[in-house]
Amino acid sequence: MNMKLETLVIDPPAPTRKIGGVILDLQNISLRFGGVKALTDISFDIREHEIRAIIGPNGAGKSSMLNVINGVYHPQEGRIVFRGQERRQMEPHMAATQGIARTFQNIALFKGMTVLDNIMTGRITKMKSTFVEHALWFGRARQEELAHRRKAEEVIDFLEIQHIRKTPVGRLPYGLQKRVELGRALAAEPSMLLLDEPMAGMNVEEKQDMCRFILDVNDQFGTTIVLIEHDMGVVMDISDRVVVLDYGKKIGDGVPDEVKNNEEVIKAYLGAGH
Amino acid sequence: MLYREAGQFKTSYAADQQLFPIRQDRIGVLLLLAAAFLAVPGMASEYWFSAILIPFLIFALAALGLNILTGYAGQLSLGSAAFMAVGAYAAYNFQLRVEGIPILVSFALAGLTAAGVGVLFGLPSLRIKGFYLAVATLAAQFFIVWCLTKFPWLSNNSSSGVISAQKVEILGHIFESPREKYLLVLTVVVLMALAARNLVRTSTGRAWMAVRDMDVAASVIGIRLMPTKLLAFAVSSFYCGVAGALYAFCYLGSVEPDGFSLEMSFKILFMIIIGGVGSILGSFLGAAFILLLPIFLDVGLPWLAELFHLPFSTATVSHIQTLVFGALIMFFLIVEPHGLARLWQIAKEKLRLWPFPH
Ligand SMILES: Nc1ncnc2c1ncn2[C@@H]1O[C@H](COP(=O)(O)OP(=O)(O)O)[C@@H](O)[C@H]1O
Ligand SMILES: [Mg+2]
Repeated sequence: MNMKLETLVIDPPAPTRKIGGVILDLQNISLRFGGVKALTDISFDIREHEIRAIIGPNGAGKSSMLNVINGVYHPQEGRIVFRGQERRQMEPHMAATQGIARTFQNIALFKGMTVLDNIMTGRITKMKSTFVEHALWFGRARQEELAHRRKAEEVIDFLEIQHIRKTPVGRLPYGLQKRVELGRALAAEPSMLLLDEPMAGMNVEEKQDMCRFILDVNDQFGTTIVLIEHDMGVVMDISDRVVVLDYGKKIGDGVPDEVKNNEEVIKAYLGAGH
Repeated sequence: MLYREAGQFKTSYAADQQLFPIRQDRIGVLLLLAAAFLAVPGMASEYWFSAILIPFLIFALAALGLNILTGYAGQLSLGSAAFMAVGAYAAYNFQLRVEGIPILVSFALAGLTAAGVGVLFGLPSLRIKGFYLAVATLAAQFFIVWCLTKFPWLSNNSSSGVISAQKVEILGHIFESPREKYLLVLTVVVLMALAARNLVRTSTGRAWMAVRDMDVAASVIGIRLMPTKLLAFAVSSFYCGVAGALYAFCYLGSVEPDGFSLEMSFKILFMIIIGGVGSILGSFLGAAFILLLPIFLDVGLPWLAELFHLPFSTATVSHIQTLVFGALIMFFLIVEPHGLARLWQIAKEKLRLWPFPH
């Protein structure tokens, strides 16, 4: 299943891109589900505009980490410092309004809605009109729908999915669904994008497209990207820094070359059959 | 003229976001409205108004209310009839106790009262889903009917809670004949259906559907689950409440709490299952189907019996009705969960391609 490095042709990150200061600092995060320790005392930070990969074998706690970052899970211990503000935990709604968007490992699109509506829903925190205005199609409702439609169409153009905008997402093939989910996240114009295995189950061509989109987003909009990915070729190619988790513990952290040569990381991966 | 979009290129997003973006739909709706407002009043008999058209419109409105909650926001409810009862009794009490209050204001307040009660019984939805929520709304069904029987004040001390609706007077004109009542009900229902259509095509509706389809993803996008679900309960109950007020004032004239039974709640649920869950058109199709089917079978079965010399008694006819009913509901649940509205849509899609199959 694992991709080889040579099969993917990816532009390396543009050298002009500037990586800023730390915008998210995770300190001593521990998360338990009953007796299961999903995360144990994990600390790492994320810098503005960087592509930060989280890797590790299945069950290592990668998805849980993203869920802690945008408030779906509340860690029992630790602190989260986001843009200088220190918190015990995040809340999903707060994370969304503060510019954190994400995609899910198992596609979490709104199945009954069209591609366009899914993407429009991504802009919901930016809409101000009330349901009364909506019902009466009055006041800000009309103007807002049009303005946000224009923004949604920009995302649709960016991802090259014009031809399916009116298709219910449930009818789309897997690869396109992943792309639409990215679109829904992008529609929020996030400053930080959490991507949970965006290329899993894709063929080479689809992977290349997805890589290109991720790099373009990072490059054009300066979006900070936190990426969970199993394909080592992709990870080593596009990420600025990599965190390695194993059994809920951090076993490596650094630039791709450092991580690649880390004894513990190699052991964990060999042990897990990679 | 065939049903197709070909040649109708949208040159602006505004054109693509109209109430009915496809021209044939627009024309169809306008024709239907013209028929309902202009042709029907001149043609229909008194029986048609009071036994078929008025109840059809009222139940379509209630079904629309339930569809907002169940079809769009994904929260199952078995208390629709009870929310109708709240509307009926609230409108009665506003008329009774507030000097000179216009009837339409009473209807609106009745809707708001039902909305308030709906929000109250919607609170469990923040914790529980699906089957368990349905049981909680079942509690609403029994509790509300019990309250209306138990507290005589609500029915102005009438025996067993029966109320007689006051006369319907708007701007000095009394709506007395079935035709006038039909026109009043029709106006209210059309306006509320348009409002519902607006709600579901804007961000309110998208938030409901997002919560319905995937609540974790919805909250991660920034949708607050609590206000979104409670708004669905409020709006849905508002629709049911107004339907209840119309039911008392424009259909039956006098109602009792037990009339708003669990059976009626189920009937409204069946309307949206057969008509189409998550479809405004479906609410109307479902109401028409459920109300017309018994009439159709009443007439059709004895006729068939005679034709084939079958010994059908009236009891058999009513048994067969129940059977057909059950079979249809199973059919739609299994084969076409999106109901008649979906069948209609498929037909339209076929027409769009006709006569070229690809
Ligand atoms: N909601 C949950 N309830 C119980 N256990 C969970 C939950 N989410 C994750 N876990 C557990 O936490 C551990 C880490 O899971 P996860 O974060 O999904 O790993 P990864 O994404 O690295 O494969 C696993 O043992 C998993 O079973
Ligand atoms: Mg995972």
